[in-house]
Amino acid sequence: MPVHLISRRPSPTTASFTVSNASRHTSTTAKLFFYFQFLLRLIVFSGIIFLDTAHFRHIFSPRNESFIPWAAIWSSPLGSFICRIADTTNSIVTALASALVIYGVFLKGYTEESLLVIRGLGIQTSTSSPTYLSKAATRFIPTTEIQDIVIHEAFKGFEVRFYLAVVVVGEPEVVVVFPKLLPNRATLEEVWRGSRHCLYDSKP
Amino acid sequence: MRRGVYAKRIVYSSMVSDFFFPQPGGVESHIYQLSTKLIDRGHKVIIITHAYKGRTGVRYLTNGLKVYHVPFLVIYRETTMPTVFSFFPIFRNIVIREQIQIVHGHQSLSSFCHEAILHARTMGLRTVFTDHSLFGFADAGSILTNKLLKFTLSDVDHVICVSHTCKENTVLRASLDPLMVSVIPNAVVAENFRPLHATPHANDRQSGGTSQLQHTPRPIGPNDIITIVVISRLFYNKGTDLLIASIPRILASHPNVRFIIAGSGPKAIDLEQMLERNVLQDKVEMLGAIRHEEVRDVMVRGHIYLHPSLTEAFGTVIVEAASCGLYVVCTRVGGIPEVLPQHMTTFAKPEEDDIVLATSKAISALRSNKVRTERFHDQVKVMYSWTDVARRTERVYQGISGDISPQEFYGYYPGEIQEAGSDRIRNFSLIDRLKRYYGCGVWAGKLFCLCVVIDFLLYIFLEMLFPRANIDIARSWPKKLNEASSTKTERDRLGSTS
Repeated sequence: MPVHLISRRPSPTTASFTVSNASRHTSTTAKLFFYFQFLLRLIVFSGIIFLDTAHFRHIFSPRNESFIPWAAIWSSPLGSFICRIADTTNSIVTALASALVIYGVFLKGYTEESLLVIRGLGIQTSTSSPTYLSKAATRFIPTTEIQDIVIHEAFKGFEVRFYLAVVVVGEPEVVVVFPKLLPNRATLEEVWRGSRHCLYDSKP
Repeated sequence: MRRGVYAKRIVYSSMVSDFFFPQPGGVESHIYQLSTKLIDRGHKVIIITHAYKGRTGVRYLTNGLKVYHVPFLVIYRETTMPTVFSFFPIFRNIVIREQIQIVHGHQSLSSFCHEAILHARTMGLRTVFTDHSLFGFADAGSILTNKLLKFTLSDVDHVICVSHTCKENTVLRASLDPLMVSVIPNAVVAENFRPLHATPHANDRQSGGTSQLQHTPRPIGPNDIITIVVISRLFYNKGTDLLIASIPRILASHPNVRFIIAGSGPKAIDLEQMLERNVLQDKVEMLGAIRHEEVRDVMVRGHIYLHPSLTEAFGTVIVEAASCGLYVVCTRVGGIPEVLPQHMTTFAKPEEDDIVLATSKAISALRSNKVRTERFHDQVKVMYSWTDVARRTERVYQGISGDISPQEFYGYYPGEIQEAGSDRIRNFSLIDRLKRYYGCGVWAGKLFCLCVVIDFLLYIFLEMLFPRANIDIARSWPKKLNEASSTKTERDRLGSTS
């Protein structure tokens, strides 16, 4: 999926650059696809929860006084079908399969990485987590610790890729901005110019 | 003449070799100097080599010379594992992103260089190969290397050798058309190798050594100490065994002689054992490995440079020694006799007795003040310059890319049939390339063809897997404004102010 850059400048001393390979949902079909995907995830998630409940229905004893009519559910055509599947499969297999499916349901399917530059304060890099459940990994570098921001090249797999890096005072290794997406040179140059302009008020 | 300079097409070339800095050596400095001078002439040059310890990735050297240190498995003496195809993906990426037109490989033992030439031909690029060393024909290792060389060179566009002996050797080893082989010697940066008395303001770090020498050249008296310098890597092919055998004999017959030996290698231990056995520690100074920039400081401490190498295609180090004002004693092997004029050298056969004899002759020649070593520097300066090497290499580049007509480039021979020369311009069609490889041998030819076909398929596969359009083009190093345009802007500025 193509990587695109969104740069925002809410104030003259702040700039935020976000690169993402997520679809932008501009066309109607893309929007429809997005809602359809959401619905599908919801159905799959509730389905797997239902299956798990069916599997362990003997453990928490179905009492009629609970507000969910369990007995009625299990005796319904869908309920009995799920119960049959749950009873035939091994509990370890069910646990593993449901863990995988739940992970899949919460998987984002895209990566979003951003660089936030605030003059006089510092810069913050962030990389989105692979799932909706965990937070993004962020790193804040105060202005006093920024030695330089550079674009350089490095070997990655069978390629030589450009990367934007922050040289931090007293650290042997540089901090790579956008480490997962590694956008192309044109994008990096735009971010580099913008962030230097914002940090040092130099002519872009 | 101006127009000629402007009509010149800028060549984007890449030097590929296993051997480059930080490792010291003749090939390494050749590549560096040649690249620098080509950049000065307006071309774009990058260097591709393997990763050295603590040096991986992309680096820039002086003048915007870009070096790719590709991470690769190193097997023997800084030579990478010969895996015919594994270098292709990364090589293709680098070539595309740097918009390379000519791939220039160096040194026949470098598997990087051979692979690069094969892949470059598959990608439809012009290739040049520079051979820096000589090989035998008899032992198993040489036969294998020669076969490999034949494989690569059967489809190369042009070959450069550093000496005429080297050219002869390469033509025989790879069965080449001699007209496709040019001789372009190495050179030295004469300013870096000044004799001691010529640089009164040079920083003299070795105070112990310089105290023996005055800053003005003084004739050597009959009882003055004569210092013999040896700077070489201590390997078998550099003649370290000869050195080990001859040092005790030279020192026995000449009490006022001292040795300074710089360099490291597997033979260092033998050398040290010899010193201990003969108790010569006070007469022979071992410096260990030294950096290339220290070579001059070591050389100027001596009077004679001894070079006992067993095989040498050119021997840059003897030119450096002569440039420092040292009298050179060397073995008459390979391209060495072509390098320096008679009055600067004493030759020996590569055997113990003769080296001892030649060294004794050199010592007595110096003692009787027959040799005018103080003139050597200026003479060498006129003979060798990297600018000249770059100019001649540029002509090769122009010749193979068709900027110079083949007749001008290869020369016109009246008796020659027109058809014979047509093969010199190597076209890129696969069938013609296969024909060239097929002629390499009964079994080898078929094997080489197989390799070429696989390489071609791999290329197509890579084009699909990593499309060209997705590869970022790297920026060139910003060039200094050339003379003409800077004067033009100067004129404009003056015009606007007046």
